[in-house]
Amino acid sequence: MFEAVAFYLFAFLTIAMFYITVTTSQALYALTALAAGMIFISAFFFILGADFLGAVQIIVYTGAVMALYAFGMMFFDTTREVKEKQGNKFIVVGLATLAAVMVVAIFVAPIVSTNMTAFYPMVEGAGNTQEVGLVLFTKYLIPFEVAAVMLLVAMVAGIVLAGKKMDLSLTLMSAEQAKDIDDKDKKVLS
Amino acid sequence: MDNAYLIETVIKVVVILLIFSALAGIGTYFERKVLAFMQRRLGPMNVGPFGLLQVGADGIKLFTKEDIIPTNVVAPIFKIAPVITAATAFMAAAAIPFLPAFTVFGYEVHPIVADINIGILYVLGVMAVGLFGPLLGGMASANKFSLLSAARAAAVFISYEVVTGLSILAPIMMVGSLSLIDFNNYQIENGWIVWSQPVAFILFWIAAFAETGRTPFHLIANDHEIIDGFGTEYSGMRWGLFFIGEYANMFFISFVIPIIFLGGFGDGSVLGALALLGKMAFFFFFFLWTRAAWPDVRPDQLMWLCWKVLMPVAVINVVITGFVMMF
Amino acid sequence: MEQFNNRNVAEGGYYLVDIEDYPTDGWGKFKRVVKRSFKGELFVGLWVVLREMIRFDIHTISYPEEKMPIGPRYRAIHEMKRLWESDTERCIGCGLCEKICISDCIRMDTKIDEESRKEVSEYTINLGRCIFCGYCAEVCPELAITHGGEYENASDQREHFVEYADMLTPLDTMKANAQKEFDGFGAITPHEDERVKKTPLSY
Repeated sequence: MFEAVAFYLFAFLTIAMFYITVTTSQALYALTALAAGMIFISAFFFILGADFLGAVQIIVYTGAVMALYAFGMMFFDTTREVKEKQGNKFIVVGLATLAAVMVVAIFVAPIVSTNMTAFYPMVEGAGNTQEVGLVLFTKYLIPFEVAAVMLLVAMVAGIVLAGKKMDLSLTLMSAEQAKDIDDKDKKVLS
Repeated sequence: MDNAYLIETVIKVVVILLIFSALAGIGTYFERKVLAFMQRRLGPMNVGPFGLLQVGADGIKLFTKEDIIPTNVVAPIFKIAPVITAATAFMAAAAIPFLPAFTVFGYEVHPIVADINIGILYVLGVMAVGLFGPLLGGMASANKFSLLSAARAAAVFISYEVVTGLSILAPIMMVGSLSLIDFNNYQIENGWIVWSQPVAFILFWIAAFAETGRTPFHLIANDHEIIDGFGTEYSGMRWGLFFIGEYANMFFISFVIPIIFLGGFGDGSVLGALALLGKMAFFFFFFLWTRAAWPDVRPDQLMWLCWKVLMPVAVINVVITGFVMMF
Repeated sequence: MEQFNNRNVAEGGYYLVDIEDYPTDGWGKFKRVVKRSFKGELFVGLWVVLREMIRFDIHTISYPEEKMPIGPRYRAIHEMKRLWESDTERCIGCGLCEKICISDCIRMDTKIDEESRKEVSEYTINLGRCIFCGYCAEVCPELAITHGGEYENASDQREHFVEYADMLTPLDTMKANAQKEFDGFGAITPHEDERVKKTPLSY
């Protein structure tokens, strides 16, 4: 009974939050609703007994949304509404509905046909965390490692892009040197 | 689901809420007293004996103060931000074992709301969500200082979450579980983790200061440069909720550090329970102590410390622990 | 006296602190951090505040119960003195204080009494305006109006008047010979010589 109540409550909350996310024209509302929706999704993991994934959902998505907030802070005045360019409403609504129906169909089809069996059934006696580890380091080892390498590449690229002239300090150089730097920058820009 | 379990859980939740809201208030009293004594002052003295009722006076003041919602703020977000801070602080308490199990009228009570098997991850994750409070409050306030504070909250969050996670990873590898009860039981047999993981202990302790926003890393609401940061536009009980959240977080992290590294409540005897409370009191006192003794660091120094010192040290610590455990 | 005249305190106690240059490269900064981390400077700070807490040498004055002694030069609420010989009021109603008052807070009215002497009939000082400059006391030819030591004159209104009768020394005090004479503007706080220190003027 509790599971059912919790499921419907969090289902309603999650949908409401993501609805706000896509319909509101204010960056702050959208981001907050997105964060709330992501955290409410973790409730489903907890209801299903996947505690580890639930906690990871909270940690990862709060961090990710936090980065989005940082972007919002940089690009918008988050206390004002953004004027959106309204395209053809019917196309937008139609495509969104189609996409939603297709996603539901994709995920519901195997359940309806009762064809779904677990590739990796639960190991008796192992905890939640161990289960995830077992699957991650046996079946999905290569995708996992590739994802790690890609993140590493992204990080190195980010440092290289952001780290230009990081060794120069405007406060420590003389006025002439600083002026030279400015001139060089202008040349690069023009 | 069995009724006794349900009633027990509800009672535990209510008790934890009441005790820690009260403790948060008394925490402010202790902070003022300790800081005063360290600065050769007396602190609050006039309300009640030794100023003990000052907490009540502050509560009355905060509750009865006008709740000002300034124009230009994003009202719904502005209103909900303090609630996030306070609520997540208490939610994090759900997986912390405050005392060993004891028996009341023949009924065994486990002073932990939910012994989920990912306890430590849950505690840290939910505590991290608490940083949404300062972030949202700062961004919704339509105030430049608040916005600065929100930017710092985001930066501190993203950086120090890494240090917390990596530093705690080495003890987790040794224990092989994420439950705080398992941490406690592991230390009964193998001795305190702090002896085998001193580096992780210190890193986690440092990161705890960033997570709770206490003095060496108090830059989210640094009074002397950005007024009160995210709290600038707040008044009355909404501001008070930020405070309750901050102090409750301090208490909870003061429980978590000894449970992970310093043996927790030991074998569950009365002595062990008292020892845990004593260790908790020391860590809470240390939060106040550093506030009296140490200056704040600059935001760029904080980032430098996190990414160039603490994170590499934490990674090296994890690697060394892995090698030692393998061979 | 000679030791006070010698103000060149730089000879003994003062020296230039030797501050190294800030490191500019990463390795230097790293070394500085390591040095600072393991030198225990942080623990010095912790120890100092803990020592003060244990020593419990509290310097607070719990104000309404205790009060600091204030110097005789202190210029607080005015007092009107009486003559030692006859216990009559010193004020002769000359009006100089009213004239010199730069914030215009003194108002007085005089009349000729039955002995055909000038007498003050009304005298008020608006403490809300008074800036306690002390000109009235300085200009008074009879040393009648002076400043007292009573500084607790908070009020819930801007205008806050003090009247002649309130400022006047009560007759009981005169009977007990307890009227305090105002030592004047050059007066030295009692026991001030014990607290004299050298000022670090000539670096």
